[in-house]
Amino acid sequence: MSTVESRRRPLVGAGVNRVDGPRKVTGTAPYPMDFSVPGQAYGALVQSTIAAGRIVRMHTEAAERAPGVIGVLTHENAPRVGTGPVTVLGASPPAPLRNDRIVHHGQHIAFVVAETPEQAGAAARLVRADYEATEPLLDLQDPRAEHLVDPWGMDTSRGDTAAAMASAEVTLRATYTTADNTHNPLGLFATLAAWEGDTLTVHDTSQWPSMVRTSLAMAFGIPESSVRVLVPYVGGGFGAGLRAWPHVILTAMAARVLRRPVKLVLTRPQMFTSVGHRPSGVQWLRVGATRDGELLVLNHRSLISLSMEDNDYEPFASATAFAYRCPNVITQDRQARINIAVPTSMRAPAEAQGNFALESALDELAYTLGMDPVELRLRNHTDVDPRNGLPWSGKALLECYEVGARRFGWSRRNPRPRSMRDGNWLVGYGMASALFPYFAQPCAAQATVRGDGSALVRSAATDIGTGTYTVMAQLAAEELGLPLDMVRFDLGDSDMPNSMMAGGSGLTGALGNAVHDACRRLVRSFTELAWASPESPLRGVPPDDVQCTGGTIHPVGRPDLGESYVEILARHELSELTANGKSSPPVPEELGMSLAGAYGAKFVEVRVDADLGLLRVARVVSVIDGGRILNEKTARSQIIGGTVGGIGMTLFEDTVTDPHTGRIANATFGDYLVAVNADVPELDVVFVGEPDRGTATGTKGVGEVGLVGIAPAIANAVYHATGKRIRQLPITLDALL
Amino acid sequence: MTDVASRRDVDERPAITERVVTLTVNGRPHTLRLDTRVTLLDALRDRLGLVGTKKGCDQGACGACTVHLDGRRVLACLTLAAQAEGRAITTIEGVSGADGQHPVQQAFMEHDGFQCGFCTPGQIMSAVALMAEGRAGSDAEIREFMSGNLCRCGAYPNIVAAIREAASQGGHDAGL
Repeated sequence: MSTVESRRRPLVGAGVNRVDGPRKVTGTAPYPMDFSVPGQAYGALVQSTIAAGRIVRMHTEAAERAPGVIGVLTHENAPRVGTGPVTVLGASPPAPLRNDRIVHHGQHIAFVVAETPEQAGAAARLVRADYEATEPLLDLQDPRAEHLVDPWGMDTSRGDTAAAMASAEVTLRATYTTADNTHNPLGLFATLAAWEGDTLTVHDTSQWPSMVRTSLAMAFGIPESSVRVLVPYVGGGFGAGLRAWPHVILTAMAARVLRRPVKLVLTRPQMFTSVGHRPSGVQWLRVGATRDGELLVLNHRSLISLSMEDNDYEPFASATAFAYRCPNVITQDRQARINIAVPTSMRAPAEAQGNFALESALDELAYTLGMDPVELRLRNHTDVDPRNGLPWSGKALLECYEVGARRFGWSRRNPRPRSMRDGNWLVGYGMASALFPYFAQPCAAQATVRGDGSALVRSAATDIGTGTYTVMAQLAAEELGLPLDMVRFDLGDSDMPNSMMAGGSGLTGALGNAVHDACRRLVRSFTELAWASPESPLRGVPPDDVQCTGGTIHPVGRPDLGESYVEILARHELSELTANGKSSPPVPEELGMSLAGAYGAKFVEVRVDADLGLLRVARVVSVIDGGRILNEKTARSQIIGGTVGGIGMTLFEDTVTDPHTGRIANATFGDYLVAVNADVPELDVVFVGEPDRGTATGTKGVGEVGLVGIAPAIANAVYHATGKRIRQLPITLDALL
Repeated sequence: MTDVASRRDVDERPAITERVVTLTVNGRPHTLRLDTRVTLLDALRDRLGLVGTKKGCDQGACGACTVHLDGRRVLACLTLAAQAEGRAITTIEGVSGADGQHPVQQAFMEHDGFQCGFCTPGQIMSAVALMAEGRAGSDAEIREFMSGNLCRCGAYPNIVAAIREAASQGGHDAGL
């Protein structure tokens, strides 16, 4: 191991202010909707008003005659385009406007382009369609729905669950349901597409610009090198930006056909049907245990909603296979095709739902056994991955429980339901475990040190608010031995070295390892230059025996014998020196360890009005093992943000589909409720554990684990407060009356 | 593809109702000829290039477009541009003083009161007005009176901390 790598680093890195903060607080950070190009026209979408059937005829004449209208695309005149790639997340969405078939309410059926946004919007309302409607399937449990069995090949069967269930001293059977949720980042998704000949430049709300580039190239049959996708600031994603959606392709298609740059900004209602949502589902849990709380059986099955076409990765039950030590386990996930818009991963996909069921069931088991819920989890803790017997690369879950219980004051809890009260408020304490396995993909980065001694590091990643700009600059500054203000990290441009998506809690680790590699190679290049120079104090010093401090490379422990980047470049008459780095996800079998994701323990106090059923979250303590934390401030914000998302999911969020028409009945921010400031108490966040042993940076990713466990902790606290076991999300006050 | 070629040569279109409007934004007057349907939000963004004010819903439900009209916070998406004539419009671009950022902006950075940053201009415009309204007296009050500004990233506790600090330092006196 080189000395650069082996320098001792703290678990929790300094809470540095975001480097992009000044732009964000002054309104100068440019989001996709903020870009304009000369001569641009404006697009507006027309969406279907039936959920199933076909279009018999489009009526576009009135729209075409409306003021300012440049053109109207429908399936009758739109050019056929290719479908995008099959990525690690699955197949791309079907191409837009390719036939007369309608598979969900709110499907794009026309695209109107006009000189101004007002004209485009007004003309879009003039487009009419004659339909031949068929009866839509809208109920997840409709027996007519086609089921996809084990769609991800992740179903588990271990041991003999039937025999173990028959012999278990205590058994439990429960059904849990979770609602459709909609990502709803505050930034409306926007696309601005401009062609110059066969070259396409696109500003797009995306968490994965290189994938959008590939998709556009395949759509229009042009080389990837002819497409550039830019997204320096995203405006929130939460998963909605992980695909090249039909409206993106449509905007580029219109720009090509009409020979004008075209800009489209989705409306808030369109955000409910155009960019995915968290799918609803039903989960069936069967648990068998000994009387002293040893888990013998976990049988976790799910049915998850899916659209008629397209696909979604959402294995609700999968983590039950490794969350606890349990010899007999079945996990099975099924998807049901119904006439809804396609779901897509939303912050903590699968875990948000699966963990709600599992951790609620464990609370129920704890009550059945008369055992403390923390104690039950301690008894079933596992330090090895039950799937393969390998030790985890890092798992400080026991510390999470211990620290969390202490900070929360768990010992003050009287376990009897309805036993704690503050005036008319019933007080409840609940807890849950959380885990989120990170999803890493190959990444590349390029690092340059310039003649003035400053560094520029680049990769085609995005910063969706997680702090990528900041933590990558911090990592590069650390590796290069430069002050942070001498390092700039650029991202959001598909022309830069390839990056994985900002998703799956994997970017910080995977990209961090690529940045780490690029910087190490760059230092090595500098050292090798100096090594050969008679005049250099580094002459003859082996490249592995150096470290970098204050812009100077020097032998380990001897800063007096160093030479600066500036001096080395000047002597060799170079304006800059560049190195490329890359990373690949570690392979468990090579490591001899199973890759641990982030872990956490969540402790929640709720208050329920005894008469009105009003539910308030009063306190949340989140203790997180996120491996090495690069920036205490931004990482804490990730946990806070996940917690707020979890509160929203548990108390409010419910995308309501009309059971007859398939129309989303609450597709506005006035009707689809999310947590607001007054819904959120002070949140306590603590990081514990050690740098993860799986990769060089030691991070695990903290973007999603903050949300996981909040729902069951609240539901368990509600049971403690009221004696009512709520197995359905969201928990609305009518359930508590 | 020829079916959707340019239709700009077609006559017989109903006239658009337009109006000349003078908007005073951050102390500077701008005279614009506008479709009467144009909101203050779209006039700021699309006509004046002041894109710091954000469109999050266009329905008055998210607060991302919060600006000040004569010092009071309003939703620019629910205000027609023509309604703002003759009034002092302040946007996020007008909040920073000559001597740098407003204390609320500094406090947002220090307390990490944002993540993706999209709602942030609206949050800051609300926060500045909230202090002027005398509504930053307690955390509970700040939470309540900031609840018209959604933050989907969930930065609320940090937003409260930032406003608490800015209010305690008398940030409302800083030039607004």
